Amino acid sequence: MTINQDANANLMQGEASEGIKSQEMLLNMGPQHPSTHGVLRLVLKLEGETVVDCTPVIGYLHRGIEKILENRPIMGGIRYMDNADYLSPLLNEIAYAGAVEQLMGIEAPRRAQYIRLLTGEMQRIASHLVAVGTYLVDLGAFTPILWAFRDREGIMSLFEALCGSRFNVNYLRVGGVLHDFPSGWLKECEAFLDQLDKNMVEFEELVTGNEIFEARTRGVGYVDPQQAIAYGLTGPMLRASGVNFDLRVNRPYMAYREVPVKVQVRQEGDCYARYKVRIQEIYESIRLCRVAIDKMPGGPIGTRTPIALRPPRGETYFAIESSKGELGVYFISDGSEYPWRAKLRGPSFVNLEILPEMLRGHKMSDVVAIIGSLDIVLGEVDR
Amino acid sequence: MHFSVVLGDDIWSQLGGIIFSWGFLQFIVAFLSFFGFVLTMAVILVLAERKIMGWMQDRLGPIHTGPWGLLQTVADVGKLLLKEDIHASQTDKALFIFAPSVFLAPIIAAFAVIPFSPYVGLPGVVIATGIVYYVAMSSIDVIGVIMAGWGSNNKYALMGGLRSAAQMISYELPLVLALVSVVMLTSVLAGSPGYPGMAGIGTIAIKEIQDFQNVWHPTGIGILDFLFQGFTPWAWFILIQPLMLVIYYVCGLAETNRAPFDLPEAESELVAGYLTEYSGMRWALFFLGEYGNMTIVSAIATYLFLGGWSGPGVGYLLGLGNPWWGLVGNLLAVAYFVTKVFLLCFVFIWVRSTLPRLRADQLMQYAWLILIPTTLFNILLTGLLFLVINSLGLGQFTNIVFLVVTAVINWAMLFAFIWIIRRATTATTRRAQAPAIRAQRREPTAGELPERAGAAGGQ
Repeated sequence: MTINQDANANLMQGEASEGIKSQEMLLNMGPQHPSTHGVLRLVLKLEGETVVDCTPVIGYLHRGIEKILENRPIMGGIRYMDNADYLSPLLNEIAYAGAVEQLMGIEAPRRAQYIRLLTGEMQRIASHLVAVGTYLVDLGAFTPILWAFRDREGIMSLFEALCGSRFNVNYLRVGGVLHDFPSGWLKECEAFLDQLDKNMVEFEELVTGNEIFEARTRGVGYVDPQQAIAYGLTGPMLRASGVNFDLRVNRPYMAYREVPVKVQVRQEGDCYARYKVRIQEIYESIRLCRVAIDKMPGGPIGTRTPIALRPPRGETYFAIESSKGELGVYFISDGSEYPWRAKLRGPSFVNLEILPEMLRGHKMSDVVAIIGSLDIVLGEVDR
Repeated sequence: MHFSVVLGDDIWSQLGGIIFSWGFLQFIVAFLSFFGFVLTMAVILVLAERKIMGWMQDRLGPIHTGPWGLLQTVADVGKLLLKEDIHASQTDKALFIFAPSVFLAPIIAAFAVIPFSPYVGLPGVVIATGIVYYVAMSSIDVIGVIMAGWGSNNKYALMGGLRSAAQMISYELPLVLALVSVVMLTSVLAGSPGYPGMAGIGTIAIKEIQDFQNVWHPTGIGILDFLFQGFTPWAWFILIQPLMLVIYYVCGLAETNRAPFDLPEAESELVAGYLTEYSGMRWALFFLGEYGNMTIVSAIATYLFLGGWSGPGVGYLLGLGNPWWGLVGNLLAVAYFVTKVFLLCFVFIWVRSTLPRLRADQLMQYAWLILIPTTLFNILLTGLLFLVINSLGLGQFTNIVFLVVTAVINWAMLFAFIWIIRRATTATTRRAQAPAIRAQRREPTAGELPERAGAAGGQ
């Protein structure tokens, strides 16, 4: 048998011909890459355009936030929490303040709790807007991100009027919040929510029904519900896989004990479902904001706490539903002004672990579609 | 102009005879102005793209350089010219350096067959094989892309280059097949009353195809003649073969690597694809080529489907025989032509700001499973229709019946095409979603944690 016949026989049996030698390619995606959402580095093993294996490499944005928290007085830690998940600083602060309050056994006044709910939900909207906007950029659509950022800009302006800062707000205090609303703020907020409602309808008209968008996302990056629970996923990642779990409902904290939340669940478990859950959560957050504005109670915005805050000895874990999932803060206090140990449970970090599992067997173009649907923030992954 | 000069002893005088002849001078002037047109068009289109996309995206676009940012691209070109020409250390030097030229040259060469008005055009306008020439030129530029991808010695660039090779070759076929249907129309119409040419012999010269879209007979009523002489929108081939225009345009999008087919330079996946290692003027040449390509795709679509430079007044003014009115007519023709080209380029920009990007395998499926069968079917259908209608013995009405029937069927096919695409997308995405749909049949898994007593909410 000549070589040619050999090759032909191989081809006829449906096996790969030995005449063509193909080689797996090792591709370094990141840390400087437009769509790894920061400085994530993926070492991809490719065969043609198909991903064989993937190793995420993290740590390029490590700033030692947990260590910084241990070296600052507890009061001063709030400002550093802003930088963990830099797309939802206010939610980070709520988690931190809630943990300290739980440690000290105090509770913020009702008005402060409602202010936290209102601003927290607005922060969630802002974070989700960035998530869906950048996701569409990953898929190659230019317009949605700019529309999303336009709407996010409204939230940023409202935060600036309220907290004095657009982004790293430093607004929460242990036992309350820093300022009350400036006059007319709530009215402006309501007007913004109405406008956002309309803008979201427009956004969905552009994106959701689009055939190319559906072809790119449906069935891509499927996560089994069991798998999702086994990997400890939380947030939209988990709810898109059909698991009805939301800390605001399952372990309600602060004002969520009084304001019911409709959990947004979808069964498909693919990128499309994750996108859809985020969009639905934006609508749900708008509704919650309106409820909070309607029910906003009077009273003080904070309890008096000493400037040199000395929580009692002990440990505590307090978790909230952040825009990405369960954001937990763990403290061990030795009774001094400084926490003896501070640890964050970042949802981005936990959600990232499933990435190699999801990528295997997908095409190179799907890599960005899947990373985008995770909605990770490297500031929180690396901390 | 005679180039077949035998170079004898007096070589310099003979060369001088060529170089200083009027013909050569005319050629130089024409070539330089066309080159200038390509460059200007690119500069205008870059600015237009940024401005229009800005308005569509609720922002302003460039506003700081010059009034309303009009000088932004001028400033950009200056920056690009002054930038350092960076070579990565391990590049394949020859390929890396020549790739931009190989990409750009055929695009500029393709302009040779584009007439701008009855008298304005390069000498290539008269060649009888205009469409074949254009198709040949537009297939060559893929070589430049592959050279860039291979020569850059960069994995992203390599993937971009290979993707574009596959894409450009695949979309070349439906593009040509879409144009064939127009050529078939000309060969059906040729020689019959009111149309140019000999019976049964169609044309692939771009200028002559335009003549087939003009069915006006001078009536002697001044105002009607002025408006419609040479300008009969009811005879444009867009009305007879709208589906082919759509398919040609889609293939044009893929040929020029524009969204939603911009996989070779997919920013979010491949950084910049084959452009990754380029900077400065070499990068600008690729950029220029892309916009030149956009212009030429629009120009060909204008000629084959939208009546070329025809517009109210052109034919009448040229028919007067007065050179000054002829000049005005020519200027009008250029204006109409450029307007139509800009309208089509606007659609390019519009599409880009609307649609997400396809995946590589979906791109190939779209070309091979949808576009090529559709265009082939359309060719078959056009031929069959002509056979059937011709055999009915309708006499002088044969042509008009054929055109009307073809147009009706093609418009129906256009809507059917859009509907089928939508259905096919739904069906394939359903299949892709199969595991998810299986999961859907399961009950939603309950949360791990027991709900706290008294907790409100839930579903």
